[in-house]
Amino acid sequence: MELVINGLSKTYPNGVQALKDVTLTIPTGLFGLLGPNGAGKSTLMRTLATLQDADSGSAHLRNSVGDIDVLRDKDAVRRQLGYLPQEFGVYPKVSAWDMLNHLAELKGLANKKERLEIVGGLLRQTNLYDVRDKALGGFSGGMRQRFGIAQALLGNPKLIIVDEPTAGLDPEERVRFHNLLAEIGEQVIVVLSTHIVSDVSDLCPNMAIINKGQVLLSGKPHELTRTLVGRLWATSIPRSELAVAKQKYPVISTRLIAGQTRIHVIGDTQPGAEFASVAPELEDTYFAAIGGFLGDRIPAAPAPAPAPAPAAA
Amino acid sequence: MLKNIALFEFKTRVSRISTWVYFAVFFALSVLWIAAAGGLFKEANISFGSGKVFVNSPFAIAQTISLLGMFGVIVMAAVMGRAVQQDAEYRSHHFFFTSPISKLDYLGGRFIGAFGVLLVIFSSIGLGAALASLLPGMDAERLGPSSLSAYIWPYLIVLLPNSLLIGALFFTIASLTRKMLPVYIGSVLCLIGYLISLQLIRDIDNKTIAALIDPFGSSALSRITEYWTVADRNLRQIPLEGVLLWNRLLWLGIAALVATFGFMRFSFSRFAAPQVGGKARLVEDVPEEMPRAALAIAAPATIKPAGLAMLPRLTWLNLRETVKNIYFGVLVFAGVLFLIFASTTLGDVFGTSTWPVTYQMTGLLGGTFGLFMLIIIAFYAGEMVWRERDNRLDQIMDATPMPTWLPLLSKLLALMMVPVLLQILLMLCGMTIQVFKGYYNFEIGLYAKELLGIQLVDYWLLCALAIAIHSVVNQKYLGHFIMIVYYIAISFMSALGFEHELYKYGAIPPATYSDMNGFGHFLPRLFAFQAYWTAGAVLLVILAYLMWTRGTVGGWQERLQMARGRLHGGVKAGLAVGLLVFIGLGSFIFYNTNVLNHYRNSKAEQARQADYEKKYKATAKVPQPRITAVSVKTDLYPQEQRVRMSGTYRLKNKNDVPVTQVYLAFYRDDLVIHKLDFDIAAELAENDEVLQVRRYQLKTPMEPGAEATLNFDVELATHGFTNSGSNTQVVYNGSFINGRSILPAIGYEENGELSRDQDRKKFDLAPKDRMRDRDDPEGLKSNYISADADWISFETVVGTDEDQIAVAPGYLQKEWKEGGRRYFSYKMDVPILNFFAWQSARYSVKKDMWHGKANDVPIEVYYHPGHEYNLDRMIAATKASLEYFSNAFGPYQHKQFRILEFPRYASFAQAFPNTIPYSEAIGFIARVREGDEKDVDYPYYVTAHEAAHQWWAHQVMGANVQGGTMLSETLAQYSALMVMKQKYGEAKMQKFLAYEMDRYLGGRAFEQKKELPLARVENQQYIHYRKGSVVMYALQDYIGEDNVNKALKALVEECAYKGPPYPNATILLKHLRAVTPPHLQYVIDDMFENIVLYDNRTTKATYKELPGGKFEVKMSITAKKRKADKLGKEEDAPLADWIDVGVLDEKGVPIFLEKRKFEKEENEITVVVDKKPVKAGIDPLNKLIDRRPRDNAVKVELIS
Repeated sequence: MELVINGLSKTYPNGVQALKDVTLTIPTGLFGLLGPNGAGKSTLMRTLATLQDADSGSAHLRNSVGDIDVLRDKDAVRRQLGYLPQEFGVYPKVSAWDMLNHLAELKGLANKKERLEIVGGLLRQTNLYDVRDKALGGFSGGMRQRFGIAQALLGNPKLIIVDEPTAGLDPEERVRFHNLLAEIGEQVIVVLSTHIVSDVSDLCPNMAIINKGQVLLSGKPHELTRTLVGRLWATSIPRSELAVAKQKYPVISTRLIAGQTRIHVIGDTQPGAEFASVAPELEDTYFAAIGGFLGDRIPAAPAPAPAPAPAAA
Repeated sequence: MLKNIALFEFKTRVSRISTWVYFAVFFALSVLWIAAAGGLFKEANISFGSGKVFVNSPFAIAQTISLLGMFGVIVMAAVMGRAVQQDAEYRSHHFFFTSPISKLDYLGGRFIGAFGVLLVIFSSIGLGAALASLLPGMDAERLGPSSLSAYIWPYLIVLLPNSLLIGALFFTIASLTRKMLPVYIGSVLCLIGYLISLQLIRDIDNKTIAALIDPFGSSALSRITEYWTVADRNLRQIPLEGVLLWNRLLWLGIAALVATFGFMRFSFSRFAAPQVGGKARLVEDVPEEMPRAALAIAAPATIKPAGLAMLPRLTWLNLRETVKNIYFGVLVFAGVLFLIFASTTLGDVFGTSTWPVTYQMTGLLGGTFGLFMLIIIAFYAGEMVWRERDNRLDQIMDATPMPTWLPLLSKLLALMMVPVLLQILLMLCGMTIQVFKGYYNFEIGLYAKELLGIQLVDYWLLCALAIAIHSVVNQKYLGHFIMIVYYIAISFMSALGFEHELYKYGAIPPATYSDMNGFGHFLPRLFAFQAYWTAGAVLLVILAYLMWTRGTVGGWQERLQMARGRLHGGVKAGLAVGLLVFIGLGSFIFYNTNVLNHYRNSKAEQARQADYEKKYKATAKVPQPRITAVSVKTDLYPQEQRVRMSGTYRLKNKNDVPVTQVYLAFYRDDLVIHKLDFDIAAELAENDEVLQVRRYQLKTPMEPGAEATLNFDVELATHGFTNSGSNTQVVYNGSFINGRSILPAIGYEENGELSRDQDRKKFDLAPKDRMRDRDDPEGLKSNYISADADWISFETVVGTDEDQIAVAPGYLQKEWKEGGRRYFSYKMDVPILNFFAWQSARYSVKKDMWHGKANDVPIEVYYHPGHEYNLDRMIAATKASLEYFSNAFGPYQHKQFRILEFPRYASFAQAFPNTIPYSEAIGFIARVREGDEKDVDYPYYVTAHEAAHQWWAHQVMGANVQGGTMLSETLAQYSALMVMKQKYGEAKMQKFLAYEMDRYLGGRAFEQKKELPLARVENQQYIHYRKGSVVMYALQDYIGEDNVNKALKALVEECAYKGPPYPNATILLKHLRAVTPPHLQYVIDDMFENIVLYDNRTTKATYKELPGGKFEVKMSITAKKRKADKLGKEEDAPLADWIDVGVLDEKGVPIFLEKRKFEKEENEITVVVDKKPVKAGIDPLNKLIDRRPRDNAVKVELIS
């Protein structure tokens, strides 16, 4: 099963182009959509979740038995869809059980016995069963997020879209959440948007980097990381020299380490004697892509997107 | 800091589009309103009480600002509530509460900023009014001198205090609850205050409390200006005094208290705390239990997208969310409170309630309560439509595979259930009130029909509209506001000349329920309109579906695109069917209202009158014969609402020139005229079918004194239904047909002319006097009842359904049945006016007998079974009246006295010869509690009044000149008062006369032309009835009842059955002067020939005990007399008047009462009395006309 997105574009009435010709193929498993805030991730997610129309382009959910036009046949998608929005609320006075049961009804779980089983099961899995009769208004951020995932799992969805799910979770909660997602991702397509690189590197077999509405890179995280092997250089400079360095070299990231500024620079050759070659991490690829240092040479993932050629290595 | 916060709040709000939408709408309403009142639109029919009141007068502007400002409560809620609530909604409070600002900075700043925004918005009303008065095309006569202060002042005394106090209430509610719903509930509560005050005001003893209870100050404003004449309204600035001042202080005080409480209670941390309460307690997270069960996702699930089966459940959930909270409870409580208040003045006439019969209760529940319901529906529609979005659950919900119509329909249904619940609750309340009032005839069926069959449909239509508006507008507060605009538009469209109900969404012509006739013939029309608007509502719901927001759609373009996407087969079919039904029913209604019947709006009706005058005024001088005998066979078909009248007029040429042509006119243009001919040779020379005037040329002229017969056969049938009004003359049960409305009239009818100058102007007619001068010889030639006859003889045969009794003036000669119908033949044995009516209903009859000196007179009351409450009072009043009047004025001319009930389509009683039609609404269900201090036995009064007309009208008939109606109406009032006084005593009369005084003084404000002295009254009811009562009662106090009666007896002797020339007020005054002592002759001048008002008051009264159980009372009295001109402009008049000085005991009974002559303004008077004085002063029993009767007598204080 795969989700094939082709040439998706969207311009808002205020002139902001949120999506520019987005083309992606998303296979079963966790797919990380990585990009800074405002990159167009949520627009893409909402479009896939049938909540928004695109101006042009297409998206299809294909499996062995059929092909669903995501943009047109919204009802068919919704039957296969689990969606956890970036921000969501609950009726504060309604209990977790009642709310989930209600949503299950809306999802179309018409068989009562089956529904109750599923609702109970999901609450157990998200570890909310013990508080199932408590009003949602009193839930902590993590509990609420788990409730969100529970509702997204209702009805055995084939396509699960989770928008920035770990924002606001403490590290422990995040780990739990990751485990949950990883488990889900074994069987269905899970599109996970985030701006936290480690979410993707930890979890996702496939990913894309998106900025200003465009897909900059897509592929498997380790392959994307590999594109920088041998081209990434680092040095430490005093903070005062940062501005000069930025003018002089293609700096993709800076980081303070023990009072010194460590800069990562991209280049096919060693930029200077003070620079040492470093092993790239996904984060470097991400910053390079966002900074526009990869876009020119590495074309945005061609369709059907295999890993980009590791030619430059 | 406070300044910065205020400025920021102000700036951000002022730059918002919604602020300017509010501004623009209020501006437009104000312009429209003033322009309409100022005569810019010919169709419009709006004035500030009287067309003579300038639209830019201080009064008119104050009214405009106050009224439109009341609708502004919704804006106050939005602006003031949102000023703090927005931080909770957008969670922006973190920024503010973590800043180093104080509570005062935050709350004060926000409040001031929002208040500034309200100022900007509401300035539109004054600006609009000012602009409108400058528009070209305004009628110059309706514009007075303009002054800036007229625009500023109402803001200072009404709208700004309102914004401040109501704003403070809303602001406090929002800051404590962090929610908008309670703010809106608050606005409903304010409205309830206003509604309660409207109810209370019907009892004059409650007027002050009513003025205080209205938080908008609108009732207080009305209260202090209620006696303002046209001149006052045009010139005076609203004074901030009395109840208005108290009202403002009271409510500002309450608001200050609430605000202080809110301020004390408000804390940043509480505001920022998660919104939990009740069931929603903070929940501890549970530690993860390992191992977890396998993921449920693996479990196969059967997906069957939610559909119709889910609808009831979702509806229930939506309803539960709405109903199951404290605010709904508050609303219900407020509603019930209102009902309890309102029921205390149920159907009040003279401060006396009716029995709480079911139609009175349902009327109460449907009338003013409708506004309350409208607001509830508008609010909850917004809440429901926005619930998911407000809770940020919309994305999750919208991504589920439920069909889009499901949330829409479930919300609509849930909203529709809200009025159902309320109506059922109201029904229970209604019955409870009935029980408390000792009324046990619960007509549950009628309750159900009225509340659930008629009113509920209205509310459901509103539900559909509100949901559609919120769906389409997609902006909550704007949506609320548009509902209010809809309400205003619907309320005022008629006044602007848009009178057809076909284009007013939700407008359904009322179906008046009468105990006698049930819903009668109103139901077909009701159902047609209900069906029509239901189809309209379905279309609206489809529109709502098309525009329903699902997902995160942006601008209009996107939404329209989405709508187009939803316009698939089924929806298209629904739309087509809906449109077809809507248009089909609309055509059906149009066919009924405009094809089967004539539809004319007021302006078209006026145009008809103007045409009549323009075309036929000249014919008024053409000599016409007069009717001397009428014989009619009236065939009533109640079930078909049809009546056919055939018969003859005997005509006589009473002129001293020959009559060559005869004009016949009909009031109605929907009659079928089967026959119209003379027994002498005559040719129909002109037939104006539009104005229904026919001219017959006589082949041989009628010489003076010659007679002829007119044969007529006309039919009034009912076809379909009309847009407004209806044929209530012939109904299933309770027909009441005034012959003059169907039978032909002879000659030109001056009464058919337009009378108000502003109306005449629209049609280029010169202003005209309402009536001829009191002594105009031309005017004395006719009486004011009919221009084409003098005293006539009358006989009739009337046929009706077999189970009904039909009655007409005269005595029953014969009664028979024929062809399943019942016939009655009546004949009158004395001359009567050309004034008769037929009545027919399934009557019960109560019979009694008055034993007069000369003869016995049978009394019969024809009543609807079940309406027995006041029959004995009516009979007793009849006996007392016949006794008193025949002794005092002369013999009763008839051998019988009949009272007949008719349905409440009109609420009056009317005296025909020996026959009194009497509406079921005014007396048959009156509840006069025996021994109650306040209740006025008005069935007794009305009966006595109508009985008196047998003398005053049917014996002495006034000419059609100024003062003519004084001879009938004023004298009938006087006569009734004397009969009442005899039975109930002086003290009770004071209660009654207080109402009469109030209605006279209040009536002056609505004078359309000019106020006239009583003896020149131009058929003005507030003068000939109300002032007449007060003046005549005072007169008999001054010169003695016997003397007045002596004069009236002389009047009867001189004038009974006289005319032409008919008697006038000059003759009456002659007789009154003859019995008035010289020193009181000025009283006749003041009372009848002038408009005199007193401004008497007692500033201080003290007493000390004298030896021997006596008391010396000292009073400081201000006496002032003023004369008013025709528009109510007053000036001081010299004082040399005899006025009561009195000392009262604790029951208000005089222990000392004496007329003293007052010649100067300030007076010190000392009297000695035997009993302990309680109150003392000038004119303590309020015999003279005085706008402030209550300051006449004050508490007497003991001095040591």
